Amino acid sequence: MPMDAFTVLDAGPFDGVDPDEYVRAAMRWHFTPETGSWYWLERVDRLGFDPRHDVRGVADLALFPDLTDELRDVRVSDLVPRGYGRQARPLHVFESGGTTGAPRRVVQMDDWARHGSEQVTRRLREHALPVGALWLTVAPTGPHLVGDVLQRAAAGLGSPGLGVDMDPRWVKKLVAAGRRDEADAYTGHLVDQCRRVLHGQDIGVIAATTPMLERFAQDSDLVEVINGKARAIIWGGTHMDPDTRDLLRTEVFPDVPVIGMYGNTMMLTSLVERGGLTASEPCVFDPVSPYVFLSVVDPDTGRPVAEGERGQVVVSHVSKSMLIPNNRERDTALRVRPAEGHAGDAVADVSPAPAVEGATVIAGVY
Amino acid sequence: MARVPATEPLYLDALGPRGTYRTRVPSTVTDVAGTPIARLSLVPPLYVARAIGVLRQAPPIAAAGLETVFATAGEVFAAGTVGGLSVREYERLVSRTSGTPLAVVRAATRGTAHFVRHAASSADRGRPRGAARDLSDHVLHETHTVWARQGDVFAVNASGNHPGVHRAWLEALALGYRVAVRPSRREPFTPYRLVAALRQAGIRDDQLMLLPTDHATADTLVHGADRAVVYGGDDVVTKYAHDARILPQGPGRSKILITADTDWRDHLDALVASVAGESGTACVNATAVLVEGDPTPLAEALAARLAVLPSLPPQDERARLPVCPQERARALSAYLRTVAAGTHAWLGGGGIADDLGDGSAVLRPAVHQTANARAPQLRTELPFPCVWIAPWTRADGMAPLRGTLVLSALTRDRDLWEALVAEPGIANVYFGDQPTHWMSPGVPHDSYLSDFLMRSKAVYEGPS
Repeated sequence: MPMDAFTVLDAGPFDGVDPDEYVRAAMRWHFTPETGSWYWLERVDRLGFDPRHDVRGVADLALFPDLTDELRDVRVSDLVPRGYGRQARPLHVFESGGTTGAPRRVVQMDDWARHGSEQVTRRLREHALPVGALWLTVAPTGPHLVGDVLQRAAAGLGSPGLGVDMDPRWVKKLVAAGRRDEADAYTGHLVDQCRRVLHGQDIGVIAATTPMLERFAQDSDLVEVINGKARAIIWGGTHMDPDTRDLLRTEVFPDVPVIGMYGNTMMLTSLVERGGLTASEPCVFDPVSPYVFLSVVDPDTGRPVAEGERGQVVVSHVSKSMLIPNNRERDTALRVRPAEGHAGDAVADVSPAPAVEGATVIAGVY
Repeated sequence: MARVPATEPLYLDALGPRGTYRTRVPSTVTDVAGTPIARLSLVPPLYVARAIGVLRQAPPIAAAGLETVFATAGEVFAAGTVGGLSVREYERLVSRTSGTPLAVVRAATRGTAHFVRHAASSADRGRPRGAARDLSDHVLHETHTVWARQGDVFAVNASGNHPGVHRAWLEALALGYRVAVRPSRREPFTPYRLVAALRQAGIRDDQLMLLPTDHATADTLVHGADRAVVYGGDDVVTKYAHDARILPQGPGRSKILITADTDWRDHLDALVASVAGESGTACVNATAVLVEGDPTPLAEALAARLAVLPSLPPQDERARLPVCPQERARALSAYLRTVAAGTHAWLGGGGIADDLGDGSAVLRPAVHQTANARAPQLRTELPFPCVWIAPWTRADGMAPLRGTLVLSALTRDRDLWEALVAEPGIANVYFGDQPTHWMSPGVPHDSYLSDFLMRSKAVYEGPS
């Protein structure tokens, strides 16, 4: 296979390549012995179809089963496509949150880091984010993708960044064990660090997880300093329900644009809220052709729900770096028509899958 | 709670710091048959946190106008149109959603109004004799003590088993606390009506709120308040056992004790009422009857009286038994059968779920007899008339009588009276022909609520 057959895979997010052509090239890349990763070359025999022939475009990504559970055990070196060369090493290895057992791992090669952050930066510019303003990023780094996405976004806008790190796995463990006091103390520790930065530095952009923003909203001194200094607030890392979003935008931080980001490890980037939405519209996230495709399906049948209806979010990541097709997220969202030039669906009002309330009997009358 | 044409749903909005608040996608309240009845706005944690902040800033209700406020609110609750609902419409909705028989709901309306009217004097009953009401109370010069709040904000994580549970927090309001009520998602109508009635009577939006939330957000409310009452099962009691700011209200495990010197036949009405009055869904309904001597005739007679109660939809005026969704009824029935293994069933042994054919089912009474007073079944409290009958001997002593909210004792033994009153494991003791579910304003339910909310503070005023 001549290497120029893969030229299209080097396309940037705004080069306007045909997504179906891109997907076909990606199938050739990931499933050709000279270029594919050990993981996919070994896995292809058990797929029951030949991706190089049967996947003719974005829609055919649905042929793949959801294989993301296998990413909990695969060796990192087995995930790197051979086409990058013998000496190639991933720039990063990211891990999922680890809420449903062992974390799933993904690799980020240098070219994807560039393309991924380019699309984030471009979309943040559309929201008129200031260039060169000092950022405060309050999000998990290390194994977690979101911290890296935000740091790159700041860099893309020529902005130096201050950070406050956090360990969400520890917090989840505390909460699951009912150790609420300790979880609160940890949150307090994070807020203390943020307070020092917010009062002492000219912070122009705050990027934080939803729970941290909610926590800031309870301290009037923080609300005052953020409304006074910040020119944008970016939330991400977790969901934000539409009522909380509205409260933050209209009551807590009325003077600062509040911009949502939706992403996760398997997407290998973050989607920025569509610009220009009115207050009454839900928070819409467009996909990123030709790399990230979304669909919204009925969780029982797997069929797409009608536009405007709620269903389960299915994400496919297609790049030279990785192929993570047809990943059924635990999120639900409204299906929305995507912005011009993007294949698949856009999503709105993303929320976690509803918890199942058991029918067990607890003795007593309450 | 805007009244709207029949084609549109009824909205139960949050009653927050700035009036009503409706979420974008309110949750559905269904009746016992699964039919949507209303749309309840469950507010997110951020809303709760900000609401608590507002409550904290608000002044206590002025003591001066308190009697008038409660008198007016009592009238509004009992007879007024609140949130677009007349009292009759309100009662019907409570009955359809909670499955509580209409007659029980109606009696509860009158009862709650009575408690509202007496809330101020009732709250004051718990004040120690030496403690002055406030700085202007002249007893202060004598006692140098003032009754003072232990905090500002009181939260209630309420249950929906009986409309009467909302009488408890009225005293907190009377004591100057600002109050946030999280309604049960099954029956939010009563707290909505009570909060709205009190607001109509003059309590400000920043002093009293109705904050419906999902299960997870309830924690934000409970932990954000200075004092909170939380209703639930043994799990809830265990969870909060070591938190001095939280008063858990768990299973009541109320009981009746009948000694050999008393003929139970003279008190059968009170026994039936203790088990099945209030439709058997209250924590003050009897879970166990302990009899000195052979309990068999009593069990047989009680079963015969309970067996004739009709299976009817809750909104039927003749209904006396609770109704719930069919699936839950079957789960309760299966649970009872498991628990009852090894006992003798006088009633309900073949299952207690009686389908009404519309997706709901009546929970029929159950009477079981255990071999002795130590049987673990005696602690199994279920939300319908379900009673365990056991023999009791003097050798069993106090042990089987502990862990009890109300003990009705049918006995002439004065030494036993003294022992029961002295027993810390029994919260309330009623002697003679009084059903376990008797309550009255100013009489403690689980000690005075003020024992949890107030403290006595030394205040000395020297020459200045």
